[in-house]
Amino acid sequence: MNKSKLNRSLLTDSISYLYLTILAVIAAFPLLWIILSAVKEKGEMITNPTALFPKKLTLDNFRVVIEQLHFGSNMLNSVIVAGCTTIVSVIIAALGAYGVVRFFPRFGKVMTRVLITTYMFPPILLAVPYSILVGKAGLVNSRIGLVITYLSFSVPYAIWLLVGFFKTVPLEMEEAAYVDGANRLQVFIQIVMPIVTPGVIAVAIYTFINAWNEFLYSLILINSSNKMTVGIILKSLEGQEVMDWGVMMAASAMVVIPSVIFFMLIQKKIAGGLAAGSIK
Amino acid sequence: MKAKKILSLVLSLLMLLSVFTACGTQAGEPNDTATAPASSAPAQSEGSSEPAKLSGDIIFWHSFTQGPRMETLQSAADAFMKQNPGVKITIETFSWSDFYTKWTTGLASGNVPDMSTAQPGHVSEMINAEAILPLDDLINSIGRERFYEAPLTEMTADGSTYAVPLYSHAQVMWYRKDLLQKYNLQVPTTWDELYEAASIINKGEGGAVFGCSVPMGTNDMMATRYLNFYVRSAGETLITKDGKANLTSQAAIDGINYWVKMYKNNSPSDSINYNVLDQATLYYQGKNAFDFNSAFHISGVEANRPDLMDYIDCAPMPTIKKGDAQTGYETSNIPMVIWKNSKHPEISKAFIEYLYQPENYVPFLLSVPVGMLPAIKEVVNDATFNSNATVQKFNNALNVISNAVGYGTAIGMEYGPRVEAGLITSQGVIESMFQDIILNGTDVQKAAKAAEDRLNELFEAAKE
Amino acid sequence: MNKHKKLLSKITAFSFVLPAILVVGLLLLYPVASSIFYSFTSKNLIKTTYKFVGLKNYIKVLSDSTFISSFLTSLKWTIFSLIGQVVVGFTAALALEHIRRGKGFYRTILIIPWAFPSIVIAMSWKWILNGVYGFVPIALVKLGIFSEIPQFFTTKEFVFATLLFINIWFGAPLIMVNVLSALQTIPKDQYEAARIDGATSLQQFRYITLPHISVVVGLLVVLRTIWVFNNFDLIYLITGGGPANLTQTVPIYAYNVGWGQKQLGVASAVTVLLLVFLLVICAIYFRILNKLEKEGPQ
Repeated sequence: MNKSKLNRSLLTDSISYLYLTILAVIAAFPLLWIILSAVKEKGEMITNPTALFPKKLTLDNFRVVIEQLHFGSNMLNSVIVAGCTTIVSVIIAALGAYGVVRFFPRFGKVMTRVLITTYMFPPILLAVPYSILVGKAGLVNSRIGLVITYLSFSVPYAIWLLVGFFKTVPLEMEEAAYVDGANRLQVFIQIVMPIVTPGVIAVAIYTFINAWNEFLYSLILINSSNKMTVGIILKSLEGQEVMDWGVMMAASAMVVIPSVIFFMLIQKKIAGGLAAGSIK
Repeated sequence: MKAKKILSLVLSLLMLLSVFTACGTQAGEPNDTATAPASSAPAQSEGSSEPAKLSGDIIFWHSFTQGPRMETLQSAADAFMKQNPGVKITIETFSWSDFYTKWTTGLASGNVPDMSTAQPGHVSEMINAEAILPLDDLINSIGRERFYEAPLTEMTADGSTYAVPLYSHAQVMWYRKDLLQKYNLQVPTTWDELYEAASIINKGEGGAVFGCSVPMGTNDMMATRYLNFYVRSAGETLITKDGKANLTSQAAIDGINYWVKMYKNNSPSDSINYNVLDQATLYYQGKNAFDFNSAFHISGVEANRPDLMDYIDCAPMPTIKKGDAQTGYETSNIPMVIWKNSKHPEISKAFIEYLYQPENYVPFLLSVPVGMLPAIKEVVNDATFNSNATVQKFNNALNVISNAVGYGTAIGMEYGPRVEAGLITSQGVIESMFQDIILNGTDVQKAAKAAEDRLNELFEAAKE
Repeated sequence: MNKHKKLLSKITAFSFVLPAILVVGLLLLYPVASSIFYSFTSKNLIKTTYKFVGLKNYIKVLSDSTFISSFLTSLKWTIFSLIGQVVVGFTAALALEHIRRGKGFYRTILIIPWAFPSIVIAMSWKWILNGVYGFVPIALVKLGIFSEIPQFFTTKEFVFATLLFINIWFGAPLIMVNVLSALQTIPKDQYEAARIDGATSLQQFRYITLPHISVVVGLLVVLRTIWVFNNFDLIYLITGGGPANLTQTVPIYAYNVGWGQKQLGVASAVTVLLLVFLLVICAIYFRILNKLEKEGPQ
């Protein structure tokens, strides 16, 4: 009895490991291949496509990306835009979510439904009105214009996630603070925010990722190469006069490696945060 | 206690604000100069050569996204700004494929540059949308007689010329001398000979080199271009004189069948999705025996496979029957335009005129030697131009292409500039038709008729 | 005095939600309203004048066979992508939960795809599966699995499946991570109790695991459905909807009409139809979710 149970768990164990190993290879291969392709010499990628490891290591492709394409400034743009979007939308969303939970609870459910609905406006539908709106505001080709359009998808999503967290804040604690003479903003900042911090961090990370990965609006709204985000610069590499897969892979590696490291560092936070919020 | 809380709140708000302004200031556009006095309008009075005082900022979009071409234009702009301290020229570059999205969306949102390069087909769309200025004064000031006639005609509508030709090139047939020799072949002169030669090489190389890749990606105009070669060499046109699409003429049907056959037998399967760059890269890598392109191929091969430089050359376009006149050419005259929204057309005009001065114009042309043929006649005799090593090495190519430039027009512009010519190349209709025939096995006649109807429908919609 | 205070408190309460209302109103309602407006006009992207055409654009779209086929492709794309993502993400989470050693390692590797921006997804897979120089196609030939280089992006048999595979590759980690953390919220003693009662693992899964995570998975499915259905980047960047429109979804169709053909009025009609469709789908989803929430734990 005991032995067969052991055998069975050994079997399910090995199946699990086998399955996970296959998935892991598929999941990691593109990253690996990007890096390996980026450090190969020009001819090798074409003449010997199935060679896993480069005959000779070269950093030439990276040199082109950094020195000729000034990729660093585009990375910085992406960080600035995604960072500003995150800060602004988390603040707006936190205020809004708290306000709804505390002061307009009756609208809570309706509002979350409305927000989900806004989440499904096809971005392609928004692109033309945005370019007109941003154009009228004189913000075309500026990072601030981009941040404003990004609020359209980040704020509703963030509110929706945060409402769940704010519902977990015990009312008694707030009431005690009011008795002490605190006003609403103070209660919000000093009592409520600390309680929901894990959720806010999770939401901030989600927002950052979505903004970092955004493509369509930045393609349409940004013209100067020194203001472009990394995604658009990568796209423009495809339209060069001479296609150079090595350079493209080097640039991709430079975009994706920091993202992967970031994900690995924060993976526990995002998962825990989202589940805790959406379950409530 | 309370004060402290308020203070902390204020501080955090300040931090937020500073973040805002941080993105704000870096993003700021120098739009404030719009109010600067446009002190004079130079280049408008004919023959006045004394430098007039210019001041203002202009934005210049072009699609030379990399390398020496971009650098020569940038250094010309730098020199111009040095001569005119009040002027600031901001250059922004996009690849050809993004360019179309950029200016169309830009027009919708009121965000177009002051001046830009353009595709010949786009010029008629720009004129139709009333987006660009007539440039007769500028052309007269540079000297209308110095330009070749055909490119100017291509950019003239209702008696006004709306664009200045910057350079020209024509599509010719590229081949590989080493491969022809290896299989003991002559340079093909008819379409049938080309098919034969491509098949022999394709078979012989067993996948290492393709005979003749046929590109059909819907995000580009390549299949339209290939079909146009064939149709033009039969003396037909893809757009009729009265502005209707014509894909059902005998020549067009034959052409479709020809390229489908070529694709199935001598082309990588991937080429069904190829755009101009994918296609050219195949030749640059030495993996395509016959290709159709301009002399941009020279610098492409030089960058990728310098070892092949001695084995590439080009020849006139094949014909239907042996000894026919070679008429299957497509000429591209790449022009510059000035946008109506511009607050400082006078600066753009002065800068364009400046670009045509020999000390700027010749280095620009030589940044892709032979690839860009001069739009101004006397450059052909320019000493610097002719002493360039690549120009000398590829003298045959230069002759073949110079000759071709004279015969061809842009696709669909045989009867002058028209919006239809822009649409036939920008909507991927012919490319979709080819894909449909190949992947779904649709009957050629039926597919051609459907694509023709689709194009005519688009032509109608554009006129509304 | 008291009334005054009450008003003040109303105002502060309102000022909490005001920024959010402004963002949602300005950035979402305005564009949607303008799209609905344009959908009844002959608006051209680059021309300033237009006229009202009534329902003409809608009739044109609904009678266009390309639109119908794009819509069907969109449905296929969404349904198969979601099934794939949920199945892979779910099973991976269960396997991860099952194993004892190497949990952190596998988990870290498996979330890598999630970190890829769409343009990098497109470029890397286009390169790996390239029909002339690609690693996988050539390796498959060398291994003897295919006799000639398989064409993943250019043949009718493969292209759609290839895109699906890439979308599942990208989307499964998100499902996995969320299912995993939902699994961890299940009190372990419930399993203990079930085991003492003699429940099989399948029964444990059915009566303990599923009810606990159904709400999370349900919400995720709602969000992913919308996301996948609306997704433009991935297909646009990999195949652009081709070849022969085999991978053309509704957003790509709208883009081609609005930008390529510059018929903004028609493109607006397409997107309004898309919106209506998604609203209906979401209404159904919310019905189901409501039911789940009532049945769920707590």
